[in-house]
Amino acid sequence: MNTGFIGLGAMGRPMARHLHRAGHELAVWARRPESIGDLPARVCATPAELGRCCEVVFTVVTSSADVEAVALGKDGLIEGMAPGSVLVDCSTIAPDAARHIAARLAGKDIHFLDAPVSGGEQGAIDATLAIMAGGEAAVLDRVRPLLDCLGQRIVHIGPNGAGQVAKACNQMIMVAAIEAAAEAMRLAAGAGVDCAKVRQALAGGSAASRVLDVMGERMVRRDFSAGIEARLHHKDFGLVLEAARQSGVPVALTAVVAQQLNALMAQGWGRDDTSSLLRVLELV
Amino acid sequence: MKIGFIGLGIMGRPMALNLIKGGHAVTVWARRAESMQPLLDAGAKGVASPADAARGNELVISMVADAPDVAEVMRGVASAGQSGLVAVDMSTIAPAAARKIGEDLAAAGVDFIDAPVSGGEVGAIAGTLSIMAGGSEAAFAKAKPAFECMGKNIVHVGASGAGQVTKAANQIVTGMGVLAVAEAFAFAAKNGVDRSKVREALLGGFAYSKILENHGQRMLDRNFKPGFKSWMHEKDLNIVMQTAHELGLCLPGSAATAQMFNAMVGSGMGEEDSIAVLKLLERLSGQE
Repeated sequence: MNTGFIGLGAMGRPMARHLHRAGHELAVWARRPESIGDLPARVCATPAELGRCCEVVFTVVTSSADVEAVALGKDGLIEGMAPGSVLVDCSTIAPDAARHIAARLAGKDIHFLDAPVSGGEQGAIDATLAIMAGGEAAVLDRVRPLLDCLGQRIVHIGPNGAGQVAKACNQMIMVAAIEAAAEAMRLAAGAGVDCAKVRQALAGGSAASRVLDVMGERMVRRDFSAGIEARLHHKDFGLVLEAARQSGVPVALTAVVAQQLNALMAQGWGRDDTSSLLRVLELV
Repeated sequence: MKIGFIGLGIMGRPMALNLIKGGHAVTVWARRAESMQPLLDAGAKGVASPADAARGNELVISMVADAPDVAEVMRGVASAGQSGLVAVDMSTIAPAAARKIGEDLAAAGVDFIDAPVSGGEVGAIAGTLSIMAGGSEAAFAKAKPAFECMGKNIVHVGASGAGQVTKAANQIVTGMGVLAVAEAFAFAAKNGVDRSKVREALLGGFAYSKILENHGQRMLDRNFKPGFKSWMHEKDLNIVMQTAHELGLCLPGSAATAQMFNAMVGSGMGEEDSIAVLKLLERLSGQE
């Protein structure tokens, strides 16, 4: 299938490579052409040009504004993509923004799926991402063979925006778990107990989790180089709290964790791993 | 002074009336024409657009709901091409939005002051509002006679945006203050102690505050009529939390308080006074 890819960062690059390896024709556009590197792909001058030659286009960029610019802006995908083609956005953005983009594209009979992913850079490299999709089931079925190249668990959540709601839920649980792990490590250290031993013991019991595994390990080793850049979680928490506000749903724990992320940003640790939440606790 | 006034709601109407009482020549515009009538009856001149409210005047004041409304009416004001005009916005909006509007107006040759108020409808009617202003010294001096008709405690806090920063700080203190008094009352009641006696005792000590005195009494009376609607306090705390997010600022108390107000709006209490947060606490602890 002729596929296009926009956003060749830590997540997008391995994802694009999987599509190519599976035998799909690959076209790319990048804001910074150097990020294309050795990726075997046709390089397009604008998103519109990329849209003209692709049946399915993937985007993996940072913010709602980035997706809107690439999809709907000047020389955007909307100017090139043919009726019946599909835009699959794997970025994490506001549910509202996803619905807005879907509606605009629908005006030109272009299909849209919000399909944010979870699993991090390692999941992208291993093609084991969890993919949560919002949009029409028939459209998802059409692109499912492509998504199968990228991830293992592909769930149709509901209509457009529903995928982003699921991703917001994912981020709430995950970052709260990182904060819980950090507080546990801090308590252990404060009480004069070996953090490594605590983590090792907990891994076998009811508190075991992937977060405690991966992030707890980083905390014990005091290796705060990113994995997942904390600034992205900080950005996501802005989306989560706005969604909670719009729904009138109180999220007491999320709100407090968001403040710890604000403190993390203030320390200049936004490009470090989110396990740096431990270092925030050590400030006081 | 010749003054244009835009936005004649619960706050704007009495504020404009006080300007007329102070001897100023007031021109008014409001989105709903019928809300202009009480002002016309008091001697104001009605006009058809924000631009007309600026034309021929030395000062133009807006008192509307939210940042997009302020931006819209100020675009109209800028288009009037009135030289030497000072524009004053007294709505509560985000500091960043106020600074942006100030820059846009400066490009059109209009001086801008953000001057949000505290004191509610009662203060607006009595002309006793607290006014916290941000902008240039010269523009503040020009607007000051108008401020003196509407308020008592008038402080020029700093540069553009500083007034809104101060208002946000005010909402942090009042939001947490209301929640603190409500929690103290819930605590007393769950312990079987008379809340009114607790209030009386606390009023003599370090926990004294206007919130304990006035809002505390209304909690005891279970008078949840606004006052200040909880959805508006939620909106203002959202300005605080968004600004904190943008700046990298850790505000755990404000965050917890904002979620209580979020819960009030979500559970249909948005039109009640923010002191109704007491009812939410009582529900959570089975004190209903």
